[in-house]
Amino acid sequence: MTDRGTPRATGRRAGLAVLHVGLVLFALMQLFPLLWVFLCSLQKSGDLFGNDLIRVPTDPQWSNYARAWTNGQFVRYGLNSFIVVTASTAVSTVLSFCMGYAIARMRWRGKRLALGAILMGMVVPIHATLLPNFLWYSYFGLIDTRLGLIIPYVAFTLSFNTLVYAGHFRNLPAALEEAALLDGASWPRILWSVVAPLATPATVTVAVMTFLTNWNEFIMANTYLASDDLRTLPFSIIRFQGQYRSDYAAQFACMVLVAVPALALYLYFSKHIMAGATAGAVKE
Amino acid sequence: MKITAFLVLALALLPTVRASAQTKVTIKMGDNLPDRNNTWGAIVEQINGEFKAAHPGTEIVTESYPDQPYQQKIKIYATAKQLPDLFKFWSVVSLLKPMIDGGFVAPLDRAEFESLGYLPGALDTNTYNGKLYGIPVSMDFWVIYYNKKLFKDAGIDHVPATLDELYAVIPKFKAKGIIPMTTDGKDAWPLSITFDQLVWRIAGEKGLPRQALDRKIKFTDQVFVQAARALQQLVKSGLFQEDLMVSDYDAARNLFGQGKAAMFLMGSWELGLGTDKSFSDEFRANVDAFKFPVVKDGKGTVDDLMAWYGGNYVVSASSKNIALDKQYLVFYAKRFPELAWEKQAALPAQAVKARPSDTPVARSILRIIAESKATSGTPALDLSTPRFKDDNENAIRELCSELITPEVFVKKLDAAAEKAAKK
Amino acid sequence: MLPGLAVLVFSLVVPLGFSVYYSLTDWDGLGAYQHVGLDNYRAILTDDPVFWRSLRNVLLLLAATVFLQNPIAFALAALLSRLSARASRLLRTVYFVPAVLSLVIVAKLWVDVFNPTFGILNKLLRAVGLDALAVSWLSNPHTSLAAVIWIILWQGFGWALLFYYAALMTVPRDLEEAARIDGAGRLATYRHVIIPYLAPMIATVIVIDVISSMKQMELIYLTTQGGPGQLTQFLGVYLYQKAFVTSEYGYGNALSVLFVVVSAGLTLLVHRGMRVISR
Repeated sequence: MTDRGTPRATGRRAGLAVLHVGLVLFALMQLFPLLWVFLCSLQKSGDLFGNDLIRVPTDPQWSNYARAWTNGQFVRYGLNSFIVVTASTAVSTVLSFCMGYAIARMRWRGKRLALGAILMGMVVPIHATLLPNFLWYSYFGLIDTRLGLIIPYVAFTLSFNTLVYAGHFRNLPAALEEAALLDGASWPRILWSVVAPLATPATVTVAVMTFLTNWNEFIMANTYLASDDLRTLPFSIIRFQGQYRSDYAAQFACMVLVAVPALALYLYFSKHIMAGATAGAVKE
Repeated sequence: MKITAFLVLALALLPTVRASAQTKVTIKMGDNLPDRNNTWGAIVEQINGEFKAAHPGTEIVTESYPDQPYQQKIKIYATAKQLPDLFKFWSVVSLLKPMIDGGFVAPLDRAEFESLGYLPGALDTNTYNGKLYGIPVSMDFWVIYYNKKLFKDAGIDHVPATLDELYAVIPKFKAKGIIPMTTDGKDAWPLSITFDQLVWRIAGEKGLPRQALDRKIKFTDQVFVQAARALQQLVKSGLFQEDLMVSDYDAARNLFGQGKAAMFLMGSWELGLGTDKSFSDEFRANVDAFKFPVVKDGKGTVDDLMAWYGGNYVVSASSKNIALDKQYLVFYAKRFPELAWEKQAALPAQAVKARPSDTPVARSILRIIAESKATSGTPALDLSTPRFKDDNENAIRELCSELITPEVFVKKLDAAAEKAAKK
Repeated sequence: MLPGLAVLVFSLVVPLGFSVYYSLTDWDGLGAYQHVGLDNYRAILTDDPVFWRSLRNVLLLLAATVFLQNPIAFALAALLSRLSARASRLLRTVYFVPAVLSLVIVAKLWVDVFNPTFGILNKLLRAVGLDALAVSWLSNPHTSLAAVIWIILWQGFGWALLFYYAALMTVPRDLEEAARIDGAGRLATYRHVIIPYLAPMIATVIVIDVISSMKQMELIYLTTQGGPGQLTQFLGVYLYQKAFVTSEYGYGNALSVLFVVVSAGLTLLVHRGMRVISR
């Protein structure tokens, strides 16, 4: 870290330039799929799956979007998706926050058993649970209800989220919490005002992960829902599939429309990851 | 922030308010036609509309999913005893039989359907233990579609009548950068049906796969080996698209429709290629169909048709309005052939009248079935257990990926048949 | 603590119980069935080469994820954490885009890219004269597994980046300051200070890798379906096929139970391993 104008320094600057170029190239590669879907969505169905990977459409079929919006029942399904996924994300985040904290910080009887259950929760394959859950939920009248979809959405994301929180908390020095305890604050207060802000990076991770997982989820929605008025967004895409022939272009338009809210959410939340950084510093 | 969260939760838990029942009866239907605006799905919607008008106070609610999720859901519904009143299902032997045995399907009154123009044998395929369990909806047979213009441009003046002639046209198309033939390799069943077709072409005798499944003969017999060799040769010769085994139905169909392939090996249900607006006018004017070629030294003729009846509509045994459901089926059977042919959406299992507005390909389809001297019935892969179907498809995939020899292929097939027979 | 556990038990443990029950039968999903004891398990473990292959493929995927995808993601996260806040946020969002897209899109895209005749990969290879390498990536027995693993790694990259970035954000400034004052170079800081500090979180990510590798299903199903000839078969796909496609529901459930056992075992192994390493 000494002089600037030497060959080593120019080498480093060149290296930096290469690095920047690399980052940009990589960024382009990651954006490519979105571009591809968008361009596909503007083609005619018959022109897809042909030679060219990317074809700038000479005759953009914006009508595909019109069809995706109306025939794809975008508004109704979108609203359902929004309700179900937001609710399950909120519930899952809150519950896993508590569970993660309990695991990382507290010592209690039955902890092993709980850990075992959480581990189970992570490894059970979804398909194995479809039939049993259907029978089980039927008994409680949960089939074809929003709640009946929220519960499995929460259940399947709970374990991961707890793990993320637990890992995060384990690393957090307990100094601030101890200080608050000494000040006489009650547990809920501590959790809310002290721990939660510190956990923001983890919360963002968990919330984003849960939301995105459930936003595109199809198989459970397919199994546990029946009525059209409850269906979620992934169903808008299948509305364009026939037995042998399908309206592919409209499907692509649907996919773009479905991806937009998810992307917007991610954009919004990713700035909050920074917020936890400063709070993470503990003055000794 | 807290308030919005609370609101969202509350909304989520609110039970949805359904339209109050002015209706007397609701029929729940299930099928694999999620697209209600095009072709077949649209036809069913129209029929439903007409039925509701004829039976005031009836409401029809349909659950539609693509094939795989649909089958899954039906099975779950069956186990949970919540089947839709009417639903679309598949062939008796492999998939419907367990449903019948389990008492999930209600028998129909055959007499009501006799006079509705069903093609010979159509109703028989759904008859089990002497009772009719569902009405077949389409007549499906194996055929090759081709693009007349591409043939002309490549200097080929007649469609291949033998496999050798088929091999001869390959270099001519390739010289023009055209794929000679496409088919759905990813799903394996088209190649499996082609295998059955080749067996028949070679042996001149139909029903050999069924005999092998009944263990009267073995799949390791010479005729099957020859057919396997012929199938593998078709792939090796470069006839198909290069990534055949990962190329799915949509890709194969679109390549043909975009004029990048000269032929498309598929079933009669694609007669709608002639009216598919997503392809060019030129394509639609030039698409036609011809019969699967004969094999040199083979005893089968070109009019031995791989043909079967596809799809059934069945009535759930636990339906609360069985009489109404049956009425619906009769109504459907009356309206479907006319509507399906009018929209060129499918070839019904009932007789249709040719119309002056029929496309050339539709006319060829009618001609081919009219000229056929014998039909095969259900293809082998659907004649046995679902496990056999899976083994058959896997073996076909390995054969056509050139991972195994024809001799090993038939051994695998036979082992699978043996296993299935034990059940 | 309690409500969370209740949900888990309701939705997951109970079905698992059902699964175990069905795995002891020969049910085809519909009609009557018989109890066959441990026959299914015996068949899977001794008579089923596809099971072992799918397990092997899962482990290969896991190795690739842990030793290829994760280090690159970590390095990139570290790099991003040193850039300006705006640049970092922009790039992070962009890099995450593939993770937002549904798996259907990802599968369709890569099937197109890997298309031997029309795909962009082979077109590029031919353009630079590497014709010999322009194979049918997804259907060639030699390359199909690598191609599938690549797709999975690519899609999951955004998540790994997210996790590692969030983890790096928790490293207190003082720690880095102290190391710098002590005269440690940048790389050394990472090696001896930051990574050990983050060890528990890295362990978490690896556990997540284990689980997601085991659970991989959609991408394989949508691209190769386990082919050619079961070479790219993965446990999640195999399970699905047995339970729902071939109507061997009892067998499929036995596979599920084994799936759970193997996953749990691997997870515990990783946990134990990480604890040893961080000593």
